[in-house]
Amino acid sequence: MIVVEDLVVKLGDFTLEIPRLEVRDREYLVVMGPSGVGKTVFLLTLAGFFTPMRGRILVNGRNITRYPPEKRGFTLIPQDYGLFPHMTVYENIAFGLEVRGFNKKDVRDRVEWIAEVLEIKNILGKKPRELSGGEQQRVALARALVVKPEIILLDEPFSNLDPRRRAGAREFIKELRKKLGFTAIHVTHDLVDAVELGDRIAYMESGRLLGVYGVEEFLKSPYARPYIDNVKALVKFLR
Amino acid sequence: MLARARGVESFLLTIAIASSIIVFFLLSPIIALFLMLDPRVFRESWFTDPVLSSEAWSALFLTIQASLLSTTVLCILSIPLAYLLARKSFLGKQVVEGLIDIPLMIPHAVAGIMVLVAYGRRGVLGWLTSSLGVAVDDSFWGIVAVMMFVSAPIMVDTLKLGFKSIDESIELVARSLGGSLWTVFRRITLPLSIPSILTGYILSWARAVSEVGAILIVAYYPKTINVLVIEWFNTYGLRYAVSLSIVLVLLSLIVFIATRMVFRK
Repeated sequence: MIVVEDLVVKLGDFTLEIPRLEVRDREYLVVMGPSGVGKTVFLLTLAGFFTPMRGRILVNGRNITRYPPEKRGFTLIPQDYGLFPHMTVYENIAFGLEVRGFNKKDVRDRVEWIAEVLEIKNILGKKPRELSGGEQQRVALARALVVKPEIILLDEPFSNLDPRRRAGAREFIKELRKKLGFTAIHVTHDLVDAVELGDRIAYMESGRLLGVYGVEEFLKSPYARPYIDNVKALVKFLR
Repeated sequence: MLARARGVESFLLTIAIASSIIVFFLLSPIIALFLMLDPRVFRESWFTDPVLSSEAWSALFLTIQASLLSTTVLCILSIPLAYLLARKSFLGKQVVEGLIDIPLMIPHAVAGIMVLVAYGRRGVLGWLTSSLGVAVDDSFWGIVAVMMFVSAPIMVDTLKLGFKSIDESIELVARSLGGSLWTVFRRITLPLSIPSILTGYILSWARAVSEVGAILIVAYYPKTINVLVIEWFNTYGLRYAVSLSIVLVLLSLIVFIATRMVFRK
């Protein structure tokens, strides 16, 4: 379990405040909120790229607040997937294993295993620029999951996909969760992503985490209102 | 529709004429150099006259040696600085950036004076360069120091732009996957910077080879090819200076064309 307690991060005039957040094992937590409220800052703080001025981050009771990013086991998937352009898909996926000191055989076995699970065995020799958006996303997930992280941190991973591919990507992640059962925090401002994927939804405004809700509970909350109104307006227009 | 097409045509024609003028302006001196070349003087300068050819070849080798050494040392030393300037904010960063660009703005002779008063035997740091055996007055090390000084802004600025062009999120991902700062620099940042390192190297090398004013002040001897061009021009006249200059032009053309071909691949 990952617990965030009384976390405060100051970046110039901006302050991020997370009074308390618990992410259970194998939970898929979606973080929602308007643009610019600090969702990405929150993910980068969890990943170890910003130092909090107060508060703690605990992983199964172990305080990792001051750990450097490479020692946390929190793997990041940014908006554009952050694939290493000079490496093949195989090398991209192998990177995390190699820097952790796995021997060549173990690296090969694990890369082949995750490539099998994510159905990307046929593209292992390709460079990222040769891949479609969907394939890039799968490679990013494979690279993040192959190291068996404590949690994966996804920062709006569907934002570059068109609506049809977006629906496919959601289904793919749901299937993957059934197969591998990983823990994740997924930042989005898309209500459909949140409702379809999230076990629970955390809501942020003005740099502060306002609460964590079950999906139905969130839909009934005033925070979901603007998103639902948008959907209603669309439905009304279609009628 | 027709009027619009005519507008496009006249615009493109104007652009083409303006471009031709600048290309003609740059190409003319190169062509003129070849037209002015006297094959007999060229043979004499580079092959048949033992005194002249020995002087020419040693000046050419010295220039190549000093420029390669200065550019290599500068490249190695500039990578950490350029990375720092591209990735970090710190107090006085703008002052450091301004200092780096100083050699671009000052006259070449002044650059020579500055190097001399800093690293010459009687200079502020003369005790250090003398004790290390790299005193700059009339020495190979003087040529290397001047070449490094004048080409530093080109190297640092090119590398800095290269580091800046790498998406930082790639480095963040690599660290979250378990890579230390060193590992990420070695396996991600540096390989992705190779095109800008090569560009910086070639441009700085070209700047180093072309320097003459500052070298005349710091190290007239041993003579680089540029110093020799001036000396032969004053002593033997234009035809002899042309026979030396043409080799430098050919060398630069070969390096630049080869580099462009490599980049295209």
